[in-house]
Amino acid sequence: MKTMLIGKLTFPGGTHPPQRKDLTADSPIQPGPVVKKLAVMLSQHTGAPCRPTVKPGSIVQPGQLIGDSDAFISAPVHSPIDGRVKEVALQSHPVLGRSPAVIIEPNPNIPPKRPRPKSQDLFRDAAELLDKYSPEQICLAVRKAGIVGMGGAGFPTRVKIEPNPRLPKHTMIVNGCECEPYITCDYRIMLEWTEQIIAGIILAKKASGCERVFVAIEDNKPQAIEAVRVALKNWPDTGYIHLVPVKTKYPQGSERQLIKAVLNRNVPTGGIPPMIGVIVLNVATCAAIAEAVILSLPLTHRVLTVTGEAVAEPGNYYVTIGTPVGELIEFCGGVTQKSAKVVLGGPMMGIAVADLETPITKTTGAVTVLTKHQIGKAKFRGRQTPCIRCGRCLQACPEHLNPTKIAHAVKNNRLDIAQDYFLSACNECGCCSYVCPAKIELTGYIKTGKIFLARQKKKMPE
Amino acid sequence: MLSKITVSPAPHISEDHSTRSVMLDVIIGLAPPILAAFYYFRFYALILIITCVLAAVVTEYLCNLIRRTQNPLESIGDLSAVVTGIILALSLPPRLPPWAAVIGSAFAIAIAKMVFGGLGSNIFNPAMAGRTFLTVCFGILMTTWTVPATIDTKMPIISAESKIDARTQATPLAWSKQAIKKQSPASIANEQLKVAFTGNTGGCLGETSAVALIIGGIYLLLRRTITIHIPAAVLLSAFILAAIAYLINPSAYISPVTHLTTGGMLLCAFFIATDPVTAPLSTKGMWIFGIGIGSLIMLIRIVGEYPEGVMYAVLLMNAVTALIDRLCRLTPAGGKPNV
Repeated sequence: MKTMLIGKLTFPGGTHPPQRKDLTADSPIQPGPVVKKLAVMLSQHTGAPCRPTVKPGSIVQPGQLIGDSDAFISAPVHSPIDGRVKEVALQSHPVLGRSPAVIIEPNPNIPPKRPRPKSQDLFRDAAELLDKYSPEQICLAVRKAGIVGMGGAGFPTRVKIEPNPRLPKHTMIVNGCECEPYITCDYRIMLEWTEQIIAGIILAKKASGCERVFVAIEDNKPQAIEAVRVALKNWPDTGYIHLVPVKTKYPQGSERQLIKAVLNRNVPTGGIPPMIGVIVLNVATCAAIAEAVILSLPLTHRVLTVTGEAVAEPGNYYVTIGTPVGELIEFCGGVTQKSAKVVLGGPMMGIAVADLETPITKTTGAVTVLTKHQIGKAKFRGRQTPCIRCGRCLQACPEHLNPTKIAHAVKNNRLDIAQDYFLSACNECGCCSYVCPAKIELTGYIKTGKIFLARQKKKMPE
Repeated sequence: MLSKITVSPAPHISEDHSTRSVMLDVIIGLAPPILAAFYYFRFYALILIITCVLAAVVTEYLCNLIRRTQNPLESIGDLSAVVTGIILALSLPPRLPPWAAVIGSAFAIAIAKMVFGGLGSNIFNPAMAGRTFLTVCFGILMTTWTVPATIDTKMPIISAESKIDARTQATPLAWSKQAIKKQSPASIANEQLKVAFTGNTGGCLGETSAVALIIGGIYLLLRRTITIHIPAAVLLSAFILAAIAYLINPSAYISPVTHLTTGGMLLCAFFIATDPVTAPLSTKGMWIFGIGIGSLIMLIRIVGEYPEGVMYAVLLMNAVTALIDRLCRLTPAGGKPNV
């Protein structure tokens, strides 16, 4: 194990939003709520949605497959509990709008239990155990467990780690940056599940054939850096794992910006990291890999942060995937005011939901409830003033784009101009909207432009 | 329980800036030159600044009424008209009659700004457009330079008549022009370096005191209201051109430091050229824009007929801002996509 201290690694551009991680940073991972009704979305990942493999009325056991797909880029979903399938119905999905989900009601004959994280003793002495898994076994276990990138994008992990002769991988970066304000779930995982993460890293490294691994953690989490450092020291043969503290800056945890910071290389625009031989895995994903391979458990629970000034008891919880957001907020003492904004994810990239029945998915890292005051302040009482061309969005954009030009092109329905300014290269980090003094929804316009562009392409296949 | 849920695109938090706070920062940055103007030109400064600001704000309000804006007072609140008024006032000769200032201010807002679509849409710097309009209409008024109230009467005076209630005096740059035309030595202008630094000399209201302008400029830089690129480009390019001229013939051309501290150079570099609306967006564009302004100022000062060229230089470069923006299109961090 080596700790790299080559100054402060970072990327050009970005912003420094207030952290507000103090709300939940010291709250240990606690069991989440007992669920009354679950809605397991059939599409919780990037790629083909699953088809349900159960029928209304079927009895399901914990970990039983309930949705799968034959597509390569996809991930199956499983039932987290003992229960009965009520129906397969449309539910509000944070990203996709109304989309199909398997609704499960708990079995009334089995006493309800609060979901508890696995004991860390299972992983503490796993070092020798790991040798017996072959890369193929690991990939298969990861696929079967339905693991997807848990940082937010939800790309199926099996596709990421499986060796691909056309795009050989040599470097793996483990993302423990957690640059979004408020969120602390990855931080708690790094503190409490350190061995599990390292086991997952070793397994993923073995499966992918990477030669070296970098564990990148933002320098505002010294305790997490220390925990990982100590754990790596105590773990045999981890010389290829380098611990790299990176500068605290938003969006440091974005895949492309992290690669720029750690390796000083740019991923080609419109390309993916394996094109330069790199894969990036979130720490929570690594923990899930360890669980899937060693314990053969599917991804049915995750750690998430319920936070924000409007929540009575913010904290980090081990939550059943499929729990409605509203139930989770109620479990955390409810909201402290009548008017608020419920955001799935952090305040920079999270999605504000209108339906409190929206279920938690594999990629939901946090539920942030913002106060009326914050909403008003962020939007300057709902008023956008004209762009004064101050250029702050250009300075802040980590992808070196011209957000104001793109946004104005989209606003005027000129996708051709927006494309000239590289509309598709935007990673939607939200820095431009964050710094805009005129309070223009630059990111919102750009996202809209991308949707229009996708529709246009669908209409005119070449 | 929640009874009202707000939904909007991410991000859900934002920096504490607004257009108003940016403009307020500019006004605070303009405070040192305003104070210097009060000190050197007393009553005239007060009258001129108040007239220009009031005329600018009233004109914007009237334009909003004509355009049937939903809330005609709303755009006043962003303070951009106030900034235009102050900058225009600071670039006018102290003894300019208030009625002329009103005309200039009204032209700046109505024609140079509102006709183009209001804040953010104007091509030319409104204050400079207003000033140009006044120069074209009232040439003599716009080149009559009052002696500061603090000045010692022994200074060289061009047109002093005992019965007139104000004394006027050539600006350092007028002396410089005389030197170029071989009517007086450049040393007279160079001697004014010291007074130009504190501001105890003839000139436009806000441009005489270099030290006040530098303080204001540093404030804007520290507050990150402006970036260093445009001021640096303007001042460096002007300095280099002035230095070349000075090295060729020191008796005809004044020293580069005098060039930088006199006339509208510093006001332009920190407050006029940095007007974001009329400047390019990208860093590279800002350098080109600044170098263009600095070079044009020096060309007009050294080769041209006018002793000073800030407003023409700014307006000429404003005209090509859109072209510079197109020329300096950014490449994404990951290179151009292979489509």
